[in-house]
Amino acid sequence: MSGPLRVVHYVNQFFGGIGGEDQAHVGVTVKAGALGPGRALEKALGDGARVEATIVCGDNFASEREAEASRAIAAELDRIKPDVLVAGPAFGSGRYGLACALVCKVAQSRSIPAITAMHPENPGASSARRGIYILPTGASTTSMQAALDTLAPLVRRLGQGETLGPSEVEGYMPRGARRVHDRGRPGYQRALDMLLDKLHGRAYRSEVPYAPPERVPPAPPVADLSRARIAMVTTGGLVRKGNPDRQVSANAVRYHRHTVAELESLSPTDWEAYHAGYFNHIVNSNPNYILPLSFLRDLERQGKVGHVHEHIYALPGVSTPVAVSAGHGRSIAADLKAGGVDGALLVAT
Amino acid sequence: MISAIYNFALTTGANRVIRGARIEHVCGDPTLSPEKDYAFGMRIVTTALQTLTVAVPGPTLFDPMAPGKETAHAS
Amino acid sequence: MRLEMGTFPVTDIAFGRTTRYDAGRLTVDREAVLAAVRQDPRIASAELEIARPGESVRIWPVRDVIEPRVKVEGPGVCYPGICGRDITTVGEGRTHRLAGMGVVEVSSVNWHDAGGDFVETYLDMSGPYGEMYPYQKLLNLCLVVEPDSSLNEEVKNYAVHKAALTVADQLGEAVRSLTPPEYQVFELTPVDPTLPKVVYIWCVHSPQAMSGSPSAFCTATYGLTQLTPPWYLHPNEILDGALTGPYRTAFAMSWTVANNPLLLDLYRRHGRDWNFLGVISLRTEWTTQTEKQLMANQTAKLAHQLGAQGAVVTWDAGGNEFIEVVRSIQACERLGVKTVFLTSEDDATDGAPTMLEPLPEADAIVSTSFFKNVTLAVPEAPAVGRVIGLPTKTVRRGSTIGLHGGADAALLTAGPLPPPWRYDDHYGFNSLSCIE
Repeated sequence: MSGPLRVVHYVNQFFGGIGGEDQAHVGVTVKAGALGPGRALEKALGDGARVEATIVCGDNFASEREAEASRAIAAELDRIKPDVLVAGPAFGSGRYGLACALVCKVAQSRSIPAITAMHPENPGASSARRGIYILPTGASTTSMQAALDTLAPLVRRLGQGETLGPSEVEGYMPRGARRVHDRGRPGYQRALDMLLDKLHGRAYRSEVPYAPPERVPPAPPVADLSRARIAMVTTGGLVRKGNPDRQVSANAVRYHRHTVAELESLSPTDWEAYHAGYFNHIVNSNPNYILPLSFLRDLERQGKVGHVHEHIYALPGVSTPVAVSAGHGRSIAADLKAGGVDGALLVAT
Repeated sequence: MISAIYNFALTTGANRVIRGARIEHVCGDPTLSPEKDYAFGMRIVTTALQTLTVAVPGPTLFDPMAPGKETAHAS
Repeated sequence: MRLEMGTFPVTDIAFGRTTRYDAGRLTVDREAVLAAVRQDPRIASAELEIARPGESVRIWPVRDVIEPRVKVEGPGVCYPGICGRDITTVGEGRTHRLAGMGVVEVSSVNWHDAGGDFVETYLDMSGPYGEMYPYQKLLNLCLVVEPDSSLNEEVKNYAVHKAALTVADQLGEAVRSLTPPEYQVFELTPVDPTLPKVVYIWCVHSPQAMSGSPSAFCTATYGLTQLTPPWYLHPNEILDGALTGPYRTAFAMSWTVANNPLLLDLYRRHGRDWNFLGVISLRTEWTTQTEKQLMANQTAKLAHQLGAQGAVVTWDAGGNEFIEVVRSIQACERLGVKTVFLTSEDDATDGAPTMLEPLPEADAIVSTSFFKNVTLAVPEAPAVGRVIGLPTKTVRRGSTIGLHGGADAALLTAGPLPPPWRYDDHYGFNSLSCIE
């Protein structure tokens, strides 16, 4: 690389000096040189590195008009052609974190290496935003200098066209690219070494980093159960007796939808459990234990539930990869929505 | 979601979690008389249906055997 | 407890007129050993075959691999309690073992008939699949045994396992009165009081949950397989076989339990790197949250009361079994017992977490890589020249998705075969891991 490092810095309306929450709607603007924390970033990078330009965008604009914002930012990046893009740090600010993740994706799509930084529990760091480099920071701006100091060497290396090493070596958040790796020493030795480090207060690094679980916004409540359409889903491995659909007992690649419109209850002569993760015989005697149709019908008759949905959904919830489960869930949810279902009971074993 | 092993449903983000009886018989208990088994299952199911009608801030456990004592999850 | 262990390395096995050990060479009186097996009227057929390292041989179905160990002085018998054996507490006196070999229990008997658990392991004596496991380096004396088909499933299991133990006992007798070439004393001697105190929390699946039976066959503690609260075991008890396999994975055999490198290294470095207090064995797959949490609380309490400052934790995997394991880790950390967790990982597609319930207290994890052979992209094992055991293997749909996700096919054992569902290096024998 010849010449000093050329950086573009992305910040939100606050760090860009435009204003606070009241200015979160502003669109994409570009200023020459560094703004706000960009100056400290430049300093941390050293070696004559320059923040060529700062792209500023309101957090609300970035989230509500994502396509427009992306286009504008891409155009700027195409024009400036920096060596690397740095977004944030966003710390704990959720919308800012989401915007930073978006901007990094845009930069990568324009073949510009990019990196951002935020608190691990920032929504921008969730699995939906994987594939980009996110450095973990504290929750508040008081850790700005520490964040910039940690960012700087990675920014330099990315700007020089380097590929970063594994997340556990470089310190960025896992990007969802976990793969097989031979560590050269047997696991039992590594475990005992790690134990000694931990006991003696020495630094150690877990081979499996902790990832806080995703939060799913709760669906708003059903207004009136007595008028609601309620569906049932089970991961208890419910199948028709004899398993004519040939569902597997584990690692299911598909779920089955059955019609129960004519049924008052699940009878053991017609239904059973086929699930490799629990003792199935009790459910075989009474399948309603894992799909409570008999109870729902009772409540429907009493007028306490508006309508029992005619479809039920079943699969064996054992050893299913999370990605596959998520796919099943999305598909079932779409089906329920299309069927006008207001609420669903999911029974898990 | 009705589950006998409810904690990891909470820690992995399920918002309305109802305590089930046991993995092998989530909505009921075959060791009880048929009437009591059914009543127990009905209690679990009605608790679950009730949770659909309330707003929750995040992962929350509802215990059919201890109604009114919901615990918001803190991991 | 003080245990003298005499080791007799086996460098070759051959059939001959009497069962004897001479300078590494083990001769086996095939007919005498089989006669001992056939004394049990529950056994319908039994044969012995030898599989040597490097041979183009595949053994299927493999239910257990047992290292012959016999108690020559002191109370009890090795592999106590299981299959009706004496339950006297072991771990003292003198034990003789035949190292470098295994007795392989080969039978079509499945674990139980409640569904969901199937014998899946086969072993190759050469080639890339076989190299993944330590058994390829052992001289394996295979007992191909079938029980009376009219017996119930549970009885069948115990009958064939007892037969394998009978073979192991017969071989052990050959070295009972000999002077061992290698000799070691195992004792938890008093140590420098400033050394950190550590325990090994050894989580073991119970078949009770899946089978509905408290006496279903599986990995056993003094013969008990049922769900029990945690109990303390002196490591000598484990050296004498108080904890046996098998469970359904290749690394859960009696051989790997008795030769667990983690246990042996904890013992070896006692007095040097730590004060090894012993083993807490926790049975897993309880089926309510309350029971799982209770086990976790009591395990942590036991560790803490023993004075443990640190604990290394292993398990033999499964699904919801993970819950009581990770909750034990959490409970230990909350009592100030620092933990390290040795575990495999699940599928990571789309950035999914690779543990069932990640908890922040489990902050020191050593990974033995993905446990599913399909995630590891382990290819089919190549065709072999000779099969010991059954000529076909049923490959169940759902068990090898991605490789052979299709028919419930019966494949030729000798042909190319997909690997079993799970790899799962429970005790960290190998260096395979994962990285992000």
